[in-house]
Amino acid sequence: MIGVASATFLLLHAVPGDPAREILGEHATARSVAALNHSWGLDRSLWHQFVRYIGDLARLRLGNSFVSGTSVTSLIAARIGQTAALVGIATVFAVLITVPLAAVAASHRDRVHDHAVRGLSVLGLGMPSFWVGIVLIEVFAVHLKLLPVGGAGSGIGGHLEALILPGFTAALAIVPLLVRSLRVGMLEVLNADFVAAERANGLGEVRVLVWHVARNALIPTLTLLGLNIAYLVGSTVIVEQVFALNGLGFLLLQSITARDFPVVQAITLVLALSVVAINLVTDLVAARLDPRIRLR
Amino acid sequence: MSIEPDQKITRRRLLRQGAAGSALLAAGPLLASSPARAAELRHTADARAAASIKKGGTLTFARSVAPTQLDPANSIIAGDVYTLDKIMEPLYVTSPAGALTPWLAESHTVSSDNLTWTFNLRKGVKFSNGNALTAKDVVFSIHRAATNKNGPLSFLDAAIKTIKASGSNQVVVKLSEPWAPFLSDISVFANAIIPANYGGVTEKAFFAKPVGTGPFVLNSFSPSSNLTLMPNRHYWQSGKPYVDKVQINYVSDDNQRVLQLQGGQAEIIDAVPPANVASLKATSGIDIGLFAAWEVDLLVFNEKLPYFADRHVRRAITHAIDREALVKATSFGTAKPGGSFFPPSLQYYAANTPLLNFSLSAAKAELAQSKYPHGFSTKLLISGGVQKWSEFAQVIQQALAPLNIKVAITALDHAAYEQAFQGFHYEMFIDYAINDISDPDEMASFEVDVKNGGSTSYWSSYDNPTAISLVHKAEAEFNDAKRADLYAQIQAIVAGDAPFVPLDYPPYIYGTTSKVNGFAVNPGGAYRLENVWLS
Repeated sequence: MIGVASATFLLLHAVPGDPAREILGEHATARSVAALNHSWGLDRSLWHQFVRYIGDLARLRLGNSFVSGTSVTSLIAARIGQTAALVGIATVFAVLITVPLAAVAASHRDRVHDHAVRGLSVLGLGMPSFWVGIVLIEVFAVHLKLLPVGGAGSGIGGHLEALILPGFTAALAIVPLLVRSLRVGMLEVLNADFVAAERANGLGEVRVLVWHVARNALIPTLTLLGLNIAYLVGSTVIVEQVFALNGLGFLLLQSITARDFPVVQAITLVLALSVVAINLVTDLVAARLDPRIRLR
Repeated sequence: MSIEPDQKITRRRLLRQGAAGSALLAAGPLLASSPARAAELRHTADARAAASIKKGGTLTFARSVAPTQLDPANSIIAGDVYTLDKIMEPLYVTSPAGALTPWLAESHTVSSDNLTWTFNLRKGVKFSNGNALTAKDVVFSIHRAATNKNGPLSFLDAAIKTIKASGSNQVVVKLSEPWAPFLSDISVFANAIIPANYGGVTEKAFFAKPVGTGPFVLNSFSPSSNLTLMPNRHYWQSGKPYVDKVQINYVSDDNQRVLQLQGGQAEIIDAVPPANVASLKATSGIDIGLFAAWEVDLLVFNEKLPYFADRHVRRAITHAIDREALVKATSFGTAKPGGSFFPPSLQYYAANTPLLNFSLSAAKAELAQSKYPHGFSTKLLISGGVQKWSEFAQVIQQALAPLNIKVAITALDHAAYEQAFQGFHYEMFIDYAINDISDPDEMASFEVDVKNGGSTSYWSSYDNPTAISLVHKAEAEFNDAKRADLYAQIQAIVAGDAPFVPLDYPPYIYGTTSKVNGFAVNPGGAYRLENVWLS
């Protein structure tokens, strides 16, 4: 985490752009710009600023936003739920779409269904999230009026409703990879002796596929899912922008533009932490599913 | 109570009248300058409005800019400014037609030496906490704005020497020099009135839940995100505002805003992309408003470089750019081609300014007289991610090719771009110049007065002592006709010297659903929502 914090700090300060100028506007005098930079400590040496930043971080002080003056913690607290909900829904969608598609493809190897699923995967990989999002909004929100165009909605039902299209959009970005991975995993398991034995014992094809084949093929897919959830966290920057969800990703984008250093630094850390946490949870779940995996 | 006529004649109604409406819209300033016609229209509009206005409902506004904080004296970004002005109001405001209108002040007088300005406050005005507005509040607020070291627009109050209350209903301002733009300066949002001493709370606590005399009060606010306003029960315009609630949502993505309008999720959206205007106009239930702005897109030359210090080079480039074609190619018919460095909506715009119109032969002739008759290579800096700038840059690149001026386009992210041009690390750059107040002095001094204007002549380093002297004369001239003449001279000089090429005059483009009535935007970009009602 210290590496992430240091890299973010140094990169932000290396990029041209003056936060005080961004806030004070074009009419600002050099004196007022200098005064504001002084009040933020930006006129001190880079080393001094860095030491102070790391010191504050060690005491869990994230500082105040240059732009709004409010505490970074409160800005993040107001948005983290939005982003977490988006990532959560997208993950659920990804699993719900991936498992049946991979099962169909694997059980119909080299036949029309398989080719169709694989073709769709390739197509899905080539479709950028911002474009998919706009198409989904156009169809389901503007024409069919089934779902909101954007925004976070109000009330629990409204929030969930507002997350369907963004969640689906974010999920589609990782589904192709997951489908391909699960399909390959399933094919390997399908050729295993125990599957032939189960079929010989008269178990139905659906039960064999879902209960035994999918479960055994799940471990590599779960690892891939964990990695892709981390990717999902990053992709919220785009999905939140397209669907006007004021979450962490969107705030990050705004803050980079405004050179709001404390906010960018804090969000980057939160996102990095969340990626570490997701990977840890993935490993724990994998160990639980497969006794052969043991944490050392 | 007086409301300016153009607010009563809603732009919505004008827009619904199609071409005729557009013509009337374009003639907005003309209407205001004809008192008899204005009074007639006001009477008609009053009668119509009273009969049809519906109260209630939630107005959802999807905006491209986010409110970050609500302190008028420390604001400059549109998301803050166009939010706080619904809560806190100044003594005068600028109407949609661009005219100064008495607001919290009922009237004012100016002494014969033009140094003492006395403002008579409107009676019966209360803050949203129920306390009466007094002269003490006005003195506190304007003094605070004028002396705020970090105030982005505190320079507009620089002429104020003293400000004092005279009784509870009168404020006397003494200026350090005769200053003709003062009434415009006082109307800027930074001079909005708040209770003296923040009504007894700390500054920070006050601006977390500000109290003002405006039509709305803050209900909920998530900085850099969404905001809800509720009606101010003590608002001085009785019966207003008409809506029960205003929900301002931050929607930065252009497509999302347009789709929210089409999907009925937002009643008003701002910054409609010009490319969407025609299709939205053709959509039933949606109206598009083009509101003239005090805004000009400029191509600026760095005169610190030898080739741009050469007047002939600048004139040649100006002649070489076909602004009619540029506007056609990039604005989808929404903008007007650039001419004078004053936009047509700005006071004292001189329509007869002699311009360096498009002519390739004139461009070649000018270049032939320069020290660089065979052309040169240069760079054009733009802010990356702005589609329009990118298109402008490409058009300019092609336009200068026949002069053998080779242009390399450099796009930087906005903060880096600003730092580059403000540090003179550029050769040419494209930006938009705006005026915050109704008086043209801000634009004139900012773009012409190289030493005192605050921007080294819009970072061009352009220095024409005659033009600068005229700018100063106009600042101290109180005779309207003489001021108009001075500004006409300034515009002519600048057009001849060509320190920058005014590329186009873009309008503010808003989309509304047919439910929205009474929405209008002034040329400074501000819109008042107390007149808006939903049918």
